[in-house]
Amino acid sequence: MKLLIIEDEKELAVSIMTYLRQEDYSCEVAQTYKEALGKIENWEYDCIILDITLPGGSGLRLLQNLREDKKSDGVIIISAKNSITDRIQGLKLGADDYLVKPFHLSELAARVAAIIRRKKHDGNNTIFFQEIKVDTLAKEVSVHDKMVDLTRREFQLLLYLIENKSKVVPKNALIDHLWNEEMGQGESFDFIYTHIKNLRKKLQQQGCNDYIKSVYGIGYKLTSK
Amino acid sequence: MNLLARYNRITVISTLFILLLAAVGYYFLLHYVLINQLDEALKVEEVEIQDHIKRFNKLPEATVYKDQRIAFQETDQSVTRSFTSLQVFEPDENELEPSRRLVFPVEVNGKKYIASVTKSGEGTEQLVLIILFTTLTLIALLMVILFFANRFLMKKLWQPFRNTLSSIKEFNLTSPVNIPIQKTNITEFSELNESIRQMSQKVLKDYRSLKDFTDHASHEMQTPLAIINSKLDVLIQEPELSEKSMHQIQGIYDAIEKMSRLSTSLLLLTRIENNQFHETQPIKFDGLLNEKIVEWQEWIAARNLRIATKLEPLEVSMNKELAEVLIGNLFRNAISHSSGENILIQTGKHRLTISNPGKRSLDKEKIFDRFYKSDESEGSGLGLAIIQQICTHNNFRVRYEFGDGMHHFSVYFNN
Repeated sequence: MKLLIIEDEKELAVSIMTYLRQEDYSCEVAQTYKEALGKIENWEYDCIILDITLPGGSGLRLLQNLREDKKSDGVIIISAKNSITDRIQGLKLGADDYLVKPFHLSELAARVAAIIRRKKHDGNNTIFFQEIKVDTLAKEVSVHDKMVDLTRREFQLLLYLIENKSKVVPKNALIDHLWNEEMGQGESFDFIYTHIKNLRKKLQQQGCNDYIKSVYGIGYKLTSK
Repeated sequence: MNLLARYNRITVISTLFILLLAAVGYYFLLHYVLINQLDEALKVEEVEIQDHIKRFNKLPEATVYKDQRIAFQETDQSVTRSFTSLQVFEPDENELEPSRRLVFPVEVNGKKYIASVTKSGEGTEQLVLIILFTTLTLIALLMVILFFANRFLMKKLWQPFRNTLSSIKEFNLTSPVNIPIQKTNITEFSELNESIRQMSQKVLKDYRSLKDFTDHASHEMQTPLAIINSKLDVLIQEPELSEKSMHQIQGIYDAIEKMSRLSTSLLLLTRIENNQFHETQPIKFDGLLNEKIVEWQEWIAARNLRIATKLEPLEVSMNKELAEVLIGNLFRNAISHSSGENILIQTGKHRLTISNPGKRSLDKEKIFDRFYKSDESEGSGLGLAIIQQICTHNNFRVRYEFGDGMHHFSVYFNN
């Protein structure tokens, strides 16, 4: 999978690259409008991570160019602007998703994975992690071909962990992902624990190994090791 | 007192004063001129009498003719020639008439006489009065005309000013429209209009740049926060981090989140002020509340809260995003700050009330202020300020009351 990170803040670009590279993606970075334009005109990417404010031009112009050229690269906008109008504008111009800064890299990884899944035309909506099989479209999970009955939140939680497999996913990121930042801070750490506990139990009941590791109270990690 | 009344008062009083003064002066002048004329006529008579005496060497006949009398009287004293004004009884008309008399000495054959010629001044007196009366009538007429003309003229002349004034009254900082200025030929008003135009443009520009500042500041804050966040996300992947370090990192995560929320809230406040939520649609508040209760059930359960609802259909036309923020903030506020376990949510006609148990009343004056927090609150201090801003923006009214051990937050949608 080939990703292009268009972001003028070098440090942010580096972090994104470091994080995503570990997930079987090859990443390129463009820091200016011109550099980005050259790359998207000459290459094809599975997903482009696009910042809007760039030196030399707007990210939205790049997006426009891309769609005018009938290119179907997945695009996720990362922007500090979070008004509905900004989002709608971005999505209207053909972005696949819109992520507001600051975000957790795990969230970005999950969104990128979702875009790439959608862009694939092989009709394959299943992803695997060891013996766990997740149908992202039907929202079904099975272990050794046995269905695991999960609640909506447990499903979201599992999918999120799989999309960030072998990574420590901070609790704050899980909460943002599951409850859309709506809840009071610190309120929901306990429910995360509850949901993780239930998820583990349900998976183990179907004979699944316990892959969910708790990492020093800061978060969780899905790992086969 | 308006300008017109003031102007009218000054002009009317001063005109009246000057005209009256002029009338009095005019009266005396006329009087003097006419008396002079009478005196001239008397002098002519005197000359005629002297001529008569010289020619015939005897006194002319004493006559009473029309309004003129001539009389002689013998005397042995010396007489000085003099004019006098006096009232003479007129038997024909049976009344005293103002008259003018010239007394002078004559000598006939060595005998001394006093000659007196008297002329009635009634005619002249009447003339003076007629002239005076005419003048006064004219003054009165002039005053009335002046009064109404002023009124009309001032109204017309000041119309551009009134137009400008009403434009200024309609001027609203939050709706970024320049003051519409009508053209006028009058230099003073066009100068005024020009200064107002310049001033309003400057005010708008300053206001915009102030808003932009908040906007930019909040936005600019997001990128460094994103960098810190991403660095931490990468950092926690390091296997050799100790539990202690992880705890420190958790602290940083929480602080970043708090900061991010803060700037999001500030941005929201500016955006409401900037009128960026003008699209409205009918919002069913009862439905929205039910959705929120379901959505937040885990949170509600975790806090051991029970939600009681008395929901009547409540539909309000407003921006959907703001409606969700309004309900979210009110509800979140109730959940976070409940000292007991029962939260009551009620909707009625044009009204939404959320009540939660509390120990004592909060400061009614300050509770909706930005960054006001009660001692126990861990929030940003902007939640209620945002509620108020939304209400102000939509012409709703939000009220806080404390009663029966409950905090009641009500929004009245009918203003």
